[in-house]
Amino acid sequence: MSGLETEIRPDLAALSDFEALVRLYRPRIFRFALASLGDVDAAETVTQDCFLRAYQAREQFREECSLHTWLMRIALNLIRDRARNRRLQFWRRASLMARPLDVAGHAIRDHRRSPEAQALLQERIAAIWSAAERLPEKQRTVFLLRFVEDMDLLEIAVATGMKEGTVKTHLFRALRAVRERIGETE
Amino acid sequence: MIPHLSSEQLSEFILGRPNAVATRHIRDCAACRSELAQFREALGEFGGAVRAWSADQANVALSLPASLPEPRSWRARYQLAWALLAAALFIIASFVLPRRVEENAAANDAWLLNQVDAEVSRTVPASMEPLTRLVVEKQ
Repeated sequence: MSGLETEIRPDLAALSDFEALVRLYRPRIFRFALASLGDVDAAETVTQDCFLRAYQAREQFREECSLHTWLMRIALNLIRDRARNRRLQFWRRASLMARPLDVAGHAIRDHRRSPEAQALLQERIAAIWSAAERLPEKQRTVFLLRFVEDMDLLEIAVATGMKEGTVKTHLFRALRAVRERIGETE
Repeated sequence: MIPHLSSEQLSEFILGRPNAVATRHIRDCAACRSELAQFREALGEFGGAVRAWSADQANVALSLPASLPEPRSWRARYQLAWALLAAALFIIASFVLPRRVEENAAANDAWLLNQVDAEVSRTVPASMEPLTRLVVEKQ
């Protein structure tokens, strides 16, 4: 946990403190919302709503978890509400379908890798994205929290409201599906 | 033959909680070691790629003009002015013309009534009026 993160406490936050909190966590919340929903506008809306709700509920924060985990929990609820909106399902699916190569194109180019190895890696990244977007909601959520947000099992359990063992089960299933997908593409 | 690591055992490694048997196997089996390394690298790079892509998307979203409309060309401005003028004339005409028609109708009615009055108040038929004038002139 960074020094800045430990210094900011929403229960103490005046508006200027909350602005600092937004600056610190906004990219992470936006990133997770974007990876979950696949739509920039929807991710932006969820991010704004997340901080609005956090501001309104800042007095209820009891430091039982980190601020990051607390904000993630709020974001997760908003994403879940949005994902349940059936009218958005078609557009969500349509927007996600175009993503795998787009995302894979952002893989860091390591000059120690041969062009063939780089291409193979990009194929694998695209396969992982494709597999992730086909996962059931809970598996996808824990997969993204673990491998994009680098959260550990306990943090994921707190953010999602699941038991740690349940998180682990979802992660195992997600990893198996991802491995199978990579195997299909090679 | 050494049984290779199962999907669950590889996942244990990925999640950082391998058991002793799997750890021993990885040390001895080059194939499983290679598979684990490739899978771990792909997952690590996946996270990095999603983070880079997300940052890129955020920058694109921020760089888009929020609500500034594009400046209109002079031609477009003239067309808009003419369209507004035509619309204004149409609105004015739609109020003024019906009133004029009503006024004209009232004037026509008044003229007709005057004609009727004139006809009714004649002392002799219209065809005999020239004769009466002659009689008056002689007197």
